[in-house]
Amino acid sequence: MLVLFLAGAPSVFDSFTLSQILTKALWLGIAAASLIFLSSYGGMISLGQTGIYAVAGFTMANLVHAAGGRNLGWDPWAATAAGIAVATLFGVLCGAIASRSYGIYFLMITLAISVIVFYFFAQVTTLSGYGGIRSVTPPAVIGNPVINPLPLYYAALVASVLVYVGIRYLARTPFGLALQGIRDDPARMQALGFNVSLHRALAFGVGAFIASIAGILSVWYTTQVSPGGINLAQTINILVIAVIGGLYRLEGAWVGAAVFSTIDNYSRLWMPNVGDWLGPDRFETVIGVIFLVIVLASPGGLVGIWESVWARRNRAGRGPTESSGMPAAEEVDGVVDHPAAV
Amino acid sequence: MLRPQRNEFRRLLATAALGLLAVTACANNSSTTTTTSGVIKIGILSDCAGDFGSFYNDDIGGALSVLAAHYGGKATGSLPKDGMTGAKIAGKDIQIVGFGCSDSTANKAIEETRRLVEQLGADILIGPLSGDEGIAVANYAKTNQPNKTFLNGISGAQEATLKVQAPNFFRFNPDGAQWSAGLGSYAYNKLGWRTAAVIGDDYAFPYTSLAGFIAEFCAIGGNVTKRVWPPLGTTDFSSFVAQLPTNVDGTFVGIGGAGLITFLKQYQQANGAISSKHFMGNLFWIDPQLLTAIGTPLVGAVAASGIAADDTSAQTKAYVQELSVYPATQKDAASVFTLGYWSAMTALGMALTSVNGDISGNQKALQAALAKIVIDGPYGKISLDSNRQAIADNWVTQVTPPPAGSNVPGLKTILQIPKVDQTFGGFFSSSTPNLDRSNPPCAKKTPPPWVGNEVPVNFG
Repeated sequence: MLVLFLAGAPSVFDSFTLSQILTKALWLGIAAASLIFLSSYGGMISLGQTGIYAVAGFTMANLVHAAGGRNLGWDPWAATAAGIAVATLFGVLCGAIASRSYGIYFLMITLAISVIVFYFFAQVTTLSGYGGIRSVTPPAVIGNPVINPLPLYYAALVASVLVYVGIRYLARTPFGLALQGIRDDPARMQALGFNVSLHRALAFGVGAFIASIAGILSVWYTTQVSPGGINLAQTINILVIAVIGGLYRLEGAWVGAAVFSTIDNYSRLWMPNVGDWLGPDRFETVIGVIFLVIVLASPGGLVGIWESVWARRNRAGRGPTESSGMPAAEEVDGVVDHPAAV
Repeated sequence: MLRPQRNEFRRLLATAALGLLAVTACANNSSTTTTTSGVIKIGILSDCAGDFGSFYNDDIGGALSVLAAHYGGKATGSLPKDGMTGAKIAGKDIQIVGFGCSDSTANKAIEETRRLVEQLGADILIGPLSGDEGIAVANYAKTNQPNKTFLNGISGAQEATLKVQAPNFFRFNPDGAQWSAGLGSYAYNKLGWRTAAVIGDDYAFPYTSLAGFIAEFCAIGGNVTKRVWPPLGTTDFSSFVAQLPTNVDGTFVGIGGAGLITFLKQYQQANGAISSKHFMGNLFWIDPQLLTAIGTPLVGAVAASGIAADDTSAQTKAYVQELSVYPATQKDAASVFTLGYWSAMTALGMALTSVNGDISGNQKALQAALAKIVIDGPYGKISLDSNRQAIADNWVTQVTPPPAGSNVPGLKTILQIPKVDQTFGGFFSSSTPNLDRSNPPCAKKTPPPWVGNEVPVNFG
């Protein structure tokens, strides 16, 4: 129903909203979904997703016709495939390095990946430089998203649905089940004969594949790519989106991204000027306050709030139960609340 | 147990999405994007974050002051960012639809440009501030919005006009190289430099700014032996200071914004006091905000920009008076940031008046008028070349000791470099390589036309 509604959205909205709110929410959602996949199924909270999607974006942008970069003039689809392949490979490599680490160490290694990628592209002027690559040629079917945002919107929608369905499918495969076992108790899985590090590295590769799709869409969306779009702030934005939506609920990725891009845009219109304290240029403050409120009110994000409200209602309907007081960790499609993984 | 809950969950999600879409739809309706006749919508794009975020109100203030001084605009608050209403040009209401808040990255500049133009329906955009932002916005103007008009704010990367050549992008400020005109010759002929090192932030504006020095210094016969490029946003310059050679006659510093203050401190910690005979800087050295923060270490050194800060002519006084609506901006009148946005709005006001406020016909009449505008600016006339890039005088300025009772150094303009054009008399063209870390090469050539024709000035 949601997908059907989103499919009909272009008839409701003007091209700006379609492009700057919905399309942006969809590609940011895919980037956040790659993080939520890793955190909810693999117990890995990665700050490296921005770096990985940047590798896909920069690879693709260098291969096609563009102003800046290598400008090699490849067919956009071939360049897209190459971008995704290089980023996935890069992800597996990073996964191999990070897979033996847990908790804060894993977080730091993945943060380092994003920072290294940022400085690499900012400093290697033959591949980008600080100014980045402009007027990147998208495939003909996408066209110029500023003039006609529809094709890119549908491409992002289809990609989002495929990513969602794909992750759900993967979670039920033996690989996905083993990954969830590793998330819950790596030592026991090791004892059962599973190669825990390999599993985690491969899962990181899958996360990289998903992130790389977001990377490609982001370049088509802005028609350019520059290190300014993959800096530390963006790395944190992706984490904030995932946490606002719900770090352990796949749907949360797109919910968080939709809320983020809506606030990002409209806070500039609605925010009154209060001296130097508050104003349209204080967007980060607003997001920060919302982030704090959500984290305090519901560690499961917005989707977590829905679920706990629903669980309470159900319990109220059933009458008092033994466990009244604390909302139980409800299982939804194999995803469980797993704050211990943090 | 699981099945009904899952369905309910999905219904909830769908409801949430519907709610969100309804909210965005409402918000969208509240900001109509159609151009009503009788109203001209202008968006102003600057930086409110990043290295140049502190110039936000100077930028917007420079532009809005013109509306207040000449077109009946009324400030709606004490700060420029509070907005302005009531301005009319040629009988048309001028509506400031919003202020873009970028952070000196191309990504953010485009996002904000699109918000102002596509969402808020700006017919005309003034901005942006920084080099790479300017190149991105010029590309956007050329490719995506050929029927709207863009006037640069104060971005100064050469590529934005010389290479992109968007027919609807107008820049009434000199580029970074033009702002350095006169310094290469001063270093070679007055200070006796034969070899030099340069250091600048690693992005498009310093590439252009240092290119102006390199082109002129090398054309006369000097040699630039080392180019050092710390990334924009660097907070620790020690490793870059260490890379600067000490066996050269001088060092040209093109680090801008907040980074300049840190760099100068760390340079002095490493190498002792700055020798004004062996150090030279670009326009940032003599910006009022930065000069106040830096204090006295630069006294005696020479820099250049499109501003003659000690000029007290009637023209300059009139300009400063125009800024009186915003006292804080007026204090920074002698800042290229204020002047750049002031020039853009001044040119726009003149052009709109000359076409009687007519922006129909895809704004072609307005754009034709803009191309012919000559601003009688506070520091000389500003006209446009065939790429819609400013031709203007440049001013070589010396930092002087602070007056009694102050710790902020003064400025003394010593040379006028007349009618500096973007090509440096043919040194740069649309076919020369884009400026970067290694371009332009250091080569002896015919010097730019102003070398030997500098006009000594003394404003007393």
